[in-house]
Amino acid sequence: MNQILEWLFAKPLQVEIISIWIITGVVIALVFAINNAIKKADVMAKPTGLVLIGVLIVQTFSTITKDNMGARHYKNYAPYVGALALYLFFSNISGLFGLAQPTANYSVTLTLALITFILIQRAVFMSNGFVKFFTRFFEPYPVFFVMNFFGAIAPLVSMSLRLFGNITGGTIIMMLFYSFTGYVAGFVPVIGQFDFIGPLIGPFLHAYFDLFVGFIQMFVFISLTTVFIGNEFPSEPETTN
Amino acid sequence: MDIARGLVAIGAGIAVLTGTMTGIGQGYAAGKAVEAVGRNPEAESKIRSMLILGAAIAETAAIYGLLISFLLLFVFN
Repeated sequence: MNQILEWLFAKPLQVEIISIWIITGVVIALVFAINNAIKKADVMAKPTGLVLIGVLIVQTFSTITKDNMGARHYKNYAPYVGALALYLFFSNISGLFGLAQPTANYSVTLTLALITFILIQRAVFMSNGFVKFFTRFFEPYPVFFVMNFFGAIAPLVSMSLRLFGNITGGTIIMMLFYSFTGYVAGFVPVIGQFDFIGPLIGPFLHAYFDLFVGFIQMFVFISLTTVFIGNEFPSEPETTN
Repeated sequence: MDIARGLVAIGAGIAVLTGTMTGIGQGYAAGKAVEAVGRNPEAESKIRSMLILGAAIAETAAIYGLLISFLLLFVFN
């Protein structure tokens, strides 16, 4: 046991990994709590409490996915979109709870964008077939190969860097803000050791950079995921039901 | 070395100037969204989600500039 622990913690551990563990635990606990509540719930009664939260989450992300992807394919992708949204939301607001935001680490955002990228390529493969998957780079003329190739990998770069840049920008601005208020408070003689200006102005900045930006970036990430995947499927006639 | 640090800081400042053009573009998009809502108010929720998406995509250039300035400040200093 001791050897395993030594092996685990001998390497320098990036601080984001600990917050990834905590956030994953929170999401899993939430899912299990909702599952438990649904099992106990009365089917005919109005949903309340955790059951209501579960119903709202499922309904919201099913609707978003259906709007962007069409009625035929959305059922395969709605669970992924919902899980992604929950994880991204908890990651983005984790700065409020004193954790290092996992999305301020480029490895995490690149991994999430890579999953979406693979799903996009899978959608191309499913709707166009094996030959078209490779020949699409040479359309309409072979000289367009470079443009088509970079057009195919652009979502990977832009999605990961957008999320990473927004969260990192917020983190660094908050860091600069607290060091500046600490510097200013240092001039006050008696209570100057304590940064008393930061807690006064900080909450508004936290509300913007953590809650608002975090929510918007989560929404943008899942919207782009569904739009990019939905674009690859052939458009279907509008059905009314 | 002091001159080099100053030049790095100036470079970082120039890099975040990409935000000005992004601001113009996002303002234009928001104005057009207001016009669209005025023209048919029942499509408001769809227009709002499209506006957020478009604004976020327009913001990418500013984010790249911001990242480059962070790289300049924290890596070359």
